Amino acid sequence: MNRGSGAAVADSRAATPVRPVSCGCARRRIRAVTAAVALLMPVGHATAQQPVRERIASLEFPRLGFTPAQPREETVRGVTVYFLPNDELPLVTFYAVFKGGVGHLPRDYLAAASAMPTLLRGGGTASMPPDSVDLHIESLALAMSFGQGGGSASSWVNSLAEHLDEAVTLWAEMLREPRFDSVQVEQWRGAEMERVRRRGDDPASLAYTRFNRIMYGDHPVGWEMSPGDLDPADVAEEKLRHVHEAQFCPGNMVLGVAGDVDWDRAEALLEDVLSDWPACSGNLQEYPVPDIRREPGVFVIHKPIEQSVVIAAHSSSLRQGDTPAYFASRIGNSILGASGLSSRLNTEVRTREGLAYGASSLWTTSRRNDGLIGAVTRTRPGSTLAAARLLLEVLGSMRDGEPSDDEVARVVDEAVNGFVFNFGTPLQVVARSMTYRTLDLPDDWLERYLRGIQRVTPGAVHNVFRDQLDPDRMTILLVGDTTRFDGSPTELGTVTILEEDPPPPPQDPSPPHGWLRSPH
Amino acid sequence: MKRTAVALVLLPLPLAAQTPSPTPAPGEQLPVVRHVLDNGMTFLVLPRRQAPTVSLVVHYPVGSVNEHLGNTGIAHVLEHMLFKGSREIGTTDPTLEAPLLAATDAAHDSLLAELARPRPDTSRVRHLTDAVASFEDQAEVFAIPNEYARILSAAGGRGLNATTSYEATRYFIELPVNRLELWFALESDRMRNPVLRGFHTELDVVHEERRMRLETSPGGIVQTALLATAFQVHPYGVPVIGHAADLEYMSRRQVAEYFRDYYGARNAVAAIVGDVDTDQVVEWAEEYFGAVPAGRAVPPVLAREPEQAGERRITVEFDAEPRLMIGWRAVSGLHEDAPALQMLASLLTAGRSTRLYRRLVAGDRSAIHVSAYLGPAFAYPGLFILNAVPKAPHTTHELEESIYQELHDIQSTAPDSSALVRIKNQIRAGEYRRLSSSLELAMQIAESEAMLGDWRETFRLSRRILEVTPEDVRRVAAKYLQASSRTVATMVRKDGSQ
Repeated sequence: MNRGSGAAVADSRAATPVRPVSCGCARRRIRAVTAAVALLMPVGHATAQQPVRERIASLEFPRLGFTPAQPREETVRGVTVYFLPNDELPLVTFYAVFKGGVGHLPRDYLAAASAMPTLLRGGGTASMPPDSVDLHIESLALAMSFGQGGGSASSWVNSLAEHLDEAVTLWAEMLREPRFDSVQVEQWRGAEMERVRRRGDDPASLAYTRFNRIMYGDHPVGWEMSPGDLDPADVAEEKLRHVHEAQFCPGNMVLGVAGDVDWDRAEALLEDVLSDWPACSGNLQEYPVPDIRREPGVFVIHKPIEQSVVIAAHSSSLRQGDTPAYFASRIGNSILGASGLSSRLNTEVRTREGLAYGASSLWTTSRRNDGLIGAVTRTRPGSTLAAARLLLEVLGSMRDGEPSDDEVARVVDEAVNGFVFNFGTPLQVVARSMTYRTLDLPDDWLERYLRGIQRVTPGAVHNVFRDQLDPDRMTILLVGDTTRFDGSPTELGTVTILEEDPPPPPQDPSPPHGWLRSPH
Repeated sequence: MKRTAVALVLLPLPLAAQTPSPTPAPGEQLPVVRHVLDNGMTFLVLPRRQAPTVSLVVHYPVGSVNEHLGNTGIAHVLEHMLFKGSREIGTTDPTLEAPLLAATDAAHDSLLAELARPRPDTSRVRHLTDAVASFEDQAEVFAIPNEYARILSAAGGRGLNATTSYEATRYFIELPVNRLELWFALESDRMRNPVLRGFHTELDVVHEERRMRLETSPGGIVQTALLATAFQVHPYGVPVIGHAADLEYMSRRQVAEYFRDYYGARNAVAAIVGDVDTDQVVEWAEEYFGAVPAGRAVPPVLAREPEQAGERRITVEFDAEPRLMIGWRAVSGLHEDAPALQMLASLLTAGRSTRLYRRLVAGDRSAIHVSAYLGPAFAYPGLFILNAVPKAPHTTHELEESIYQELHDIQSTAPDSSALVRIKNQIRAGEYRRLSSSLELAMQIAESEAMLGDWRETFRLSRRILEVTPEDVRRVAAKYLQASSRTVATMVRKDGSQ
């Protein structure tokens, strides 16, 4: 960087008629969001002498001759199976989703339910100890996954077509006949205890889990794993079996098959898998209705780091469903902060003010329970309050007036023109059908969704935000170095200071008994 | 359910490869059409009949290794700035906007000159700082924020983004195939006429990204410390996102010059994978990109890290639990020993059956995570890197000792061949899995063409690992993983706990 020559250039250009306008002490003004929205409007007057714009405007996009792939819906032993063959690559995926999960069990099963994916993968099977399972998976070059959320668990195996029989047989045995090897159980418990110790290492993770605890309290969404959940008795075999027999059973299951396999072969394999799989125990409970915090407030966690996390949200009573309000909420949420760089939050917080690498909205909707509506970002300590205020201002802009026609059109166009991306791979198509079935959504939900959002008007978006959003009701969480904040958090509301959870004491460092004596 | 025992298939498995197969990898057989324009820009086109979509990648073999002290982070800043539009896209009035952008530059140049004085005049610094912000604010009146992204998202685009690494910058998106010509128009426009508007505000955004990735992420902090300690000459020692001080004083003109020099057509490789008509793509390539200036060739990076004369150690204090990262001086991805080192990394940590996983995670449970790889990039001699996260009350010191013992064993005795066979099986299956995603495939062939001169080479490289023998693994472990060539980075809490 040649600063000397730079100065010379600067001096010569200082004679241009352009004059700086004082912007006071602040480097940039926080502009009214309404002004920003106006700039999002189409710029028709600018096209006359602009060849690229002309070129783009003159492009004609042919209609896509496209028949969306639809999976076959079959039933094997009473279990719904979605099937979509494709022989482009010699690979096959078998996929299972199980309703249930942590949210359908009492708190004292939190550890057992949380451990389930790891122990199904690594805890061995009735006929094979963990090491043998590992060797089989690696020798057959399988890709395999086990996971879960609050409402369901899922697993898939991807295999070369030539090894499909062995792959599915092994995968099914792992799912239905887990060994829960005691050594592996203890390994999971120790690792989970360490993850609890490290929860504060990542400020965003700390903020999200703590915010859920604040908003949901003693509800599965608000539960944070703690040392008290991780006693050996919490992952005793009977507890693990209780969870497994309740959730991983045919009555809870939806299956999918995609790839280089014909139905006869897939059906034969599934018949074999499902023929004597025991029925569900009935131990799952109804998902509890959350009692989400209603009062506004500001919570602060002091953490001496270089970037703060800011979350602001309150409860929303809107439900997922085939209703105009729901579709309006999805379009509005995209305009607000769920549509990448072009959203209002990113345009204001990132592009205009440079306060953050990103800002996004959150609006969770379920079919039966309340969710949250709000926004989140991360910023330097010295702009923490400015960022929080801007989040609230942008949120408020959705309530204060209708979005422009252009804003609505852009996010609707994005979904409609991008419809083909819902059919990128056969597995994607199959997985979507499985998800709809698991969530009790109609099979044609995608088509209904697309029809629904195309009927959304700016007025409908405004109405749903007016009904659902109240910036004065926000619960705000700030995680960061409070000594360097740009003001007092009390400027945002009544403050409660929270502490990071102290790390739990380390476990016994001695090697676990029996780790060499596992029944291999 | 049939209780068919799953055969323990180690050697009989057709996948298992004791010797390299003479047949080409599946990826090498893809019907990719390569077309080079007169200005040097290369197009790789792969028709793929699935959904009517197309994946688009433009790859430039320019990254942070092509920077120097004073302009570190410039490739990444440019990556951000190329989303600001062009002379026409992103502005309501380019004629009124241009002098305001020039005035911003002039004020910034004056600011830098003032800051460079032995005793800067604080009131003038304040005045010039305000002037930069003020001119940029005035220019912003004519800006249409994120218009480039807005046009593409309204067209149904997915995943519009870009990445910068040590050795490359790449821009990508997926579109419905009937919008392909829109991409040609917009991408060629920003290659010809980018306007880096909103520059100083965007620098703030980059600072925030830096805080997120490097300054508040324990893993990012330890890696930065390791690389800075291991590489004292080669640019691998500087984070891709650059030094904060360089970002603080970077100028728009610097970035524009960097673009002009290195982001010309001769360095660009575009990969287009999807439901496309190859002839049509070639026609549009000529029509839209034919007039893009060729630019300069990217100069080679000749800096070589001197021999390391003894172990180096760095300890970083941070508000997080301890972690450990060790790097041994190693080779580039093209070196003849690279496949054996990659195999060594897999044998140590890639899966539950591997040696360090079994020892540290499953065995004495002194760690909750361990991983190994050859890094931090590909083209220049790098490190054999080992990451480990201890489980309290075990310490990073204990992990180090266990790791060194395990490495000593593998340096003394070649590993069992069955372990290599299992990894080779994964590589064989991976030859198909890596073809599943059109976007990832486009990225792979573009990178291979730009870095290795042939889009097929990436598939051939992975086959080199199939030739590795147990003795190769022992040999490279003994040759490279020596105490005198390693750097050890440790994160500790401020109270000193490890």
